[in-house]
Amino acid sequence: MCSVRVGQTLYGIPVTSIVEILGKPAKQPVPLAPGYIGGLVHYRGEVLTTVSLRSLLKMPSHDAVEDILVFEGADGYFGLLVDEVSEVITVLPADFEGNPSTLDDRRKALFAGTYKLSNALLVMLDPERLDPVHLAEAEMA
Amino acid sequence: MERCLTELEERPQDRELLAEIFRSVHTIKGTTGFLGFSRLESLAHAGENLLDLLRDGRLLANANIITGLLALLDILREILGSIESTGQEGQGDDVLMIHRLHALQHDSKEYSATSGNMPAADNFQPASQKKKRIRRTKARNAAAIAPLPGAEIVKSQAETKTIEIYQAEPQAAQMRAAVNTAESTLRVDVDLLNRMMNLVGELVLTRNQILQMVSADANLTMLSRRLDMVTADLREAVMKARMQPVSHVFSKFPRMVRDLAQQLNKRVRLVMEGQETELDKSLLEAIKDPLTHSVRNAIDHGIEMPHQREASGKDPEGTLRLRAYQEGSHVIIEVSDDGGGMKVERIRDKALGCKLITRERAAQLSDRELMQLIFLPGFSTAEAVTNVSGRGVGMDVVRTNVEKIGGKVEIDSHAGKGTTLRLRIPLTLAIVPALIVHSRGQSFALPQGALSELVHLSSEQVQTQVEWMEGAALYRLRGKLLPLVFLGSLLKQQELADEPREVYIAVLNAEGRRYGLVVDGLADPEEIVVKPLSSVLKQIGLFSGATVLGNGEMALILDPGAIATQSNIGMALEGDEPEVVDANLKDGSAEYLLMQSASEHTAVPLNSVLRIERIPRAQMEWLNGVSVLRVDGALLPLKDRTDKDAVASSEGEMTVVVCRDGERHVGVAVTQVLDVASGKPLNEAGTNVATRDAVLLKDKVTSMIDLRQIPALPGSRHQNDQMETWQEDGVVEALP
Repeated sequence: MCSVRVGQTLYGIPVTSIVEILGKPAKQPVPLAPGYIGGLVHYRGEVLTTVSLRSLLKMPSHDAVEDILVFEGADGYFGLLVDEVSEVITVLPADFEGNPSTLDDRRKALFAGTYKLSNALLVMLDPERLDPVHLAEAEMA
Repeated sequence: MERCLTELEERPQDRELLAEIFRSVHTIKGTTGFLGFSRLESLAHAGENLLDLLRDGRLLANANIITGLLALLDILREILGSIESTGQEGQGDDVLMIHRLHALQHDSKEYSATSGNMPAADNFQPASQKKKRIRRTKARNAAAIAPLPGAEIVKSQAETKTIEIYQAEPQAAQMRAAVNTAESTLRVDVDLLNRMMNLVGELVLTRNQILQMVSADANLTMLSRRLDMVTADLREAVMKARMQPVSHVFSKFPRMVRDLAQQLNKRVRLVMEGQETELDKSLLEAIKDPLTHSVRNAIDHGIEMPHQREASGKDPEGTLRLRAYQEGSHVIIEVSDDGGGMKVERIRDKALGCKLITRERAAQLSDRELMQLIFLPGFSTAEAVTNVSGRGVGMDVVRTNVEKIGGKVEIDSHAGKGTTLRLRIPLTLAIVPALIVHSRGQSFALPQGALSELVHLSSEQVQTQVEWMEGAALYRLRGKLLPLVFLGSLLKQQELADEPREVYIAVLNAEGRRYGLVVDGLADPEEIVVKPLSSVLKQIGLFSGATVLGNGEMALILDPGAIATQSNIGMALEGDEPEVVDANLKDGSAEYLLMQSASEHTAVPLNSVLRIERIPRAQMEWLNGVSVLRVDGALLPLKDRTDKDAVASSEGEMTVVVCRDGERHVGVAVTQVLDVASGKPLNEAGTNVATRDAVLLKDKVTSMIDLRQIPALPGSRHQNDQMETWQEDGVVEALP
């Protein structure tokens, strides 16, 4: 699992689903776009729409440049803005547990569960649920 | 085969044509029998029997027989299509069709060609009409690629060998020709071409970035020039690869025109010119519908009934002319008929009837402006709703579709003489010229096609000249109110603190709507590569795409039409710019561009100004004693009216006012552009003759620059095409 940090929390994403990691590229904001859209990034000759994990979690935005994970979604590639990409961690399926029922609905919809690490929890993200197409549909409903 | 059949109607005796049709039907019959498609076989057999009689001269092809054969062709295509998609012939009752073909064999001698359709045909026609539309496209593609008739089956079944055996004997020579072309050509996946186009676009961007960075090193400059050239050539080559002749679209018209004419009991002759003109594949797809619509319109509304035509002294057979040709960076497709033309009064009455305009407004409009009314949604002058046209969805769809791909529609009509509809299509879609504008620190690209002019307002002028009417901002542009849209507030961008500031108004003309878009700043025009946006961002509706600028920055491409819709900008019915100027000229005064050359004030008529540029002096070159500028690969004769001191040096920049003189373009280099002012030419004392050289502007006598005195280029004959490379929409940039 590739681990990324946003705020104080450590999040995990299956390495196999990641197409590419872009280190701190310049992004262009899109006026009038839904709040979770982080902006546009030039990616290999294409225009990459990015989703900001911070705004998805309703965390205050910060000015620092963010790293981008590139995924392949239903509507072509999309990017996920995170504060920082850290290391790749190997986890055991035995350590997995589902979302706790006390979690708020917004987060329940985004998180796939969590892995218990020795010193912290690794919150699993599901790239499919972060796809802007999926998010737009969720917003509609 | 379709082509052959329509040709056969014109020349019923043509043996070769008949033989060709016979051969293709026979091939279908043989192959399908071999492959076990019984439906196809029995149909083809029935058709073959009929054709046999025709070929032996025992029967003469008339309209009925050809209609029957065309209907047969439709059914065959439909079955082929279903084989292609499902591998099955599909269900269907062919008895009616076979019976009809039989009936034609025996009865057509008794039927006269003019007596209308057979009863069976009446039952049959509507059903096949509907299906035809769906199938035709597919079949056409197959037919267009394959040089041999009957090869449609090759595609659907990939049973190439069977067909080759069948045709090897009678068509050996043709086969050899086909093999030769097959060796020199290659079928390429469109996806691959699109990818290539994307990559070339990328290369163009990288080139732009490199060109912007290069300055110091001479070697690097050389290399980058070379890169520039190679990129341009490569782009052209890839674009060429995507080109297809317009005949791909045109070829379906003979059949359509024939069917329509018969349906409406009209007589129409179709003339097609310039079928070899090439256009980008995606554009060709995009114009298919507007063009079909225009052709239907021309036949339904344009060309009159034969007896009406005879009564007005015309050939009872109407002529519909489809003409395609290239003009500069555009392809023009003309649909013209020699029908009744459009009666301006009728258009006006209809527009009033449909409550599209008010009576007061209608009284003010000129004939040409009234003509534009037909592009309004919901407009139709057909007396009755037919199933051909007249449902009120018409010309507005044509215009919207054509404008969507950056084209323009022009209409020209003379009552009693006919109507010409001109579709002006850009050669390519992928790369468009755009003006880069800034709003609240962000860059946006504005397609040049919609841009008609730019107005600069200083921070004080913003306070005084932008007028407000109940929250709606307006600007007086040459005496007319122009609704303004503030880009910053439209996009709900955060206000920057330093108000008030200077702004630019980009006067836009989008889908017949005219408005000013207020932006904070302008950058250079650039050729941008349009990148599609993800579906989530498309929903915002204001952006048509995104692009990467020369400096590596991303910019969203604004959609002028969508902005107008969102801001509730209504249709502007006022005429184009030149008419406004003409109106001014009538009372003797006109508007002039006031300039300073050296210490003297000079002026040129504003309506001849195309644009104003700042160009480094070093770019000026001399040709046989005439100073010239190279612009976009064309030469621009230049008159230098700057300081004598400055002329000698080749440093610094000069301001060049590009003007139109008749058909040629000329440049006037001046020290500074001052203002736009209106004034009257002065009469020489004691005479009524206005001097050509002086004009009273701002209570000062100002000398006029006579554009005609600028020497022509050596050896030039003021050729039109030399100037084609110039942009159609000259941008008048008011410099501070």
